[in-house]
Amino acid sequence: MSADTSAREESTGSTAPPPSPAATYTAQPGRASRRQRSTGAAAGFLGPNLILLGIFLFLPLGWAFLISFQESSGFGASGWVGLENYRRLVTDPTFWQSALNTAAFTLITVPLSLALGLGLAVLMNSVLPGRKLFRTLIYLPMVISGIATALMGVLLFDEATGIINKLLREGGLATVPWQSQGTAAFASIILVTLWIRVGFNMVIYLAGLQGISPELYEAARLEGASSWQQFRYLTVPLVGPSTFFLLIMDVIYSFQVFDTIFVMTGGGPGRSTSVLVTYAYENGFVTRDQSYAAAIGIVIFLVTLVFTAIQWRGNRSRDTVG
Amino acid sequence: MTISRRQILGGAGFLAAAAALNGCAGFSGGGNDGGGGGDGDADTLTFTTWGSPAEEEGFRNGIAAFEAANSGTKVELNLVPYEQIFQNIDAQLQAGTAPDLFRVDYGTIGAYSSQDQLLDLSDYFDTAAAEEFLPSMWEAVQFDGKPFGVPHQTDTSALVYRTDLFEQAGIGAVPDSLESAWTWDEFRQVAEKLRGSLPDDLYPFVYNWQLGGSTRWLSWLFQAGGRLFNDDLTGSAIESDAGRKALEFTQGFFTDGLVPPSSSVKSSTYADDAFSAGTTAMAFVGNFVLPGLEENIQGFEWGATYLPRDERGACDLGGNALVATRNARNPELAAEFLKFMTQPDQMSDFCARAMELPTLNSLVGTELDYQTRPDIAGIFVEQATTLEPGDVQQLTSPAMATINPKLRDQLEAAFTQGQPVEQTLATIAAAVDEAAG
Repeated sequence: MSADTSAREESTGSTAPPPSPAATYTAQPGRASRRQRSTGAAAGFLGPNLILLGIFLFLPLGWAFLISFQESSGFGASGWVGLENYRRLVTDPTFWQSALNTAAFTLITVPLSLALGLGLAVLMNSVLPGRKLFRTLIYLPMVISGIATALMGVLLFDEATGIINKLLREGGLATVPWQSQGTAAFASIILVTLWIRVGFNMVIYLAGLQGISPELYEAARLEGASSWQQFRYLTVPLVGPSTFFLLIMDVIYSFQVFDTIFVMTGGGPGRSTSVLVTYAYENGFVTRDQSYAAAIGIVIFLVTLVFTAIQWRGNRSRDTVG
Repeated sequence: MTISRRQILGGAGFLAAAAALNGCAGFSGGGNDGGGGGDGDADTLTFTTWGSPAEEEGFRNGIAAFEAANSGTKVELNLVPYEQIFQNIDAQLQAGTAPDLFRVDYGTIGAYSSQDQLLDLSDYFDTAAAEEFLPSMWEAVQFDGKPFGVPHQTDTSALVYRTDLFEQAGIGAVPDSLESAWTWDEFRQVAEKLRGSLPDDLYPFVYNWQLGGSTRWLSWLFQAGGRLFNDDLTGSAIESDAGRKALEFTQGFFTDGLVPPSSSVKSSTYADDAFSAGTTAMAFVGNFVLPGLEENIQGFEWGATYLPRDERGACDLGGNALVATRNARNPELAAEFLKFMTQPDQMSDFCARAMELPTLNSLVGTELDYQTRPDIAGIFVEQATTLEPGDVQQLTSPAMATINPKLRDQLEAAFTQGQPVEQTLATIAAAVDEAAG
């Protein structure tokens, strides 16, 4: 036994609690404490980010909030109108229709993109031949600009000249009114959204799956668990943190969907695919009523914030799983 | 001197923020000191526009000629996609970084002139200079009796058709003059004849009111003898027999399967694309799409004829003005550029290249050297003469910026949602009253 070991044992045997690192440090006169210096360093590292966030996020947000209480003159806000823009929202049927469409879009796309993302991740995590190629193909829409992906959506879903209806026609089947019938138009938006989103969800789930120890599955197989049971009772709970992260990201994405709808349907036919962001855009940049558009923007922000806060509180424990 | 870590980090933060802000200045896309001009360089003009390749070539030629004629001057051309130009211009005007000059359509110019964003050109264009333009086009750039731009070119729609499908349907001669243009009834008969001879997935025609083109519906209203605004432009006049007739007639296009169901005003596909793809026998198109049609259409022959008429002939007001912003650095030079670009030789060169129609009286009767389908270009030139000053006053009203989205919504509801005619007219009328009152 070395002297060092004996010294440790002696120390362990002592009844006094071990000194904390902070307690062992004595500030030198004339110099900042380590704590102060580390706080300074943290502020230095955070500073540039906070300045950028302040200028490009919080300042415009606060500005939009102010504009939403003013009257729009076409080029900047003019008079102060208090809650008038918000009162107008309450009685505006198009706003409610757009809000309802946004909710329906979120309720359909979020669970579907989560389920498909997890399913594909499980598949790509297995011994699938050519899985690197498949992973790339599935992730591809995510790295292309939203407008470009939506234009591809137009190529697919155009009612007269689109690829899908051409194939249906060739196969002797009835074509689908993707642009002239509300439900079909909504479905085309959802299909393209899933195409865009599933790749991202798959990659996040794949990272989560690769952090799970293979021994767990081996033990489950030895206990006689079927593939479904392994998926249900091991995989799903163990990717909880990924699901939590994706849920928040997907909900925010769905509340803020714009480019796909703007390019593919312009909110039509009628108002059947109009959502809150397209309605805000229309008011802000077509009608040039920026104040009303700002009020819609603030509503989107508040709804997203409330939903995220609820999720954060409800799922806090999941963050520690896995 | 000792520099602390805190000072270094603080300095780095400041530099990062400054670099980020500097980088963002690149998004301003021009600006008063845009792109090398500098505040002190009063001989440089910045000019923002959108344009087809042919239009870009026309602008570049005009700019080169202007620079050659005005030694020491420079015009920086900034090309922006049409879909985003006015969002950019709006943001730049609000930020004080707008270009000296930009291009704007006649339907949007009122939104800028009525908000005091454009340079008043009264001092630079006297009565004699104003009289060189077609009266209706000069009217299109006026607000409160003052000119806020120069009419650079115009365009309008006519009807193109597939000769093979016309032969198949037994449709012989098509109108070859404005006077013999089909009446609404005759046009409807032609469309029905085509409907009877075409398979289900081909349609008799497609109208070009998609993607911001909803005001082209007003051609039907004007043809029926109706008006959108009352005579002094202070309220609506659409709730009339002519309004009902125009809306019933056009709603019938959809209910009777005469147009593709997906070709309503909110469709993401342009009418000329549907025609090029061979899915319709006729299409209402603007002359500026002729180069695209000529390039894209393969496998069938096509011709053109005049728009149908009812109480009168009428057409849409296409085309664009060139304007200078209120805070242009060198207003005299900006006005000089506007004058130069609307000289007969410049305008005829630009219009011939881009298949556009001139706005100068002196060029209306002359044969321009059109590069694409010169055999049918004259149809569009003649069609443009059916536009009356009263139509222009309505189409260029500043209130149109607010009315347009509501007009589009209501037409969409009438065409695709079966909204009754009376309800549609009443809602459009309410939107006009609110915007114009």
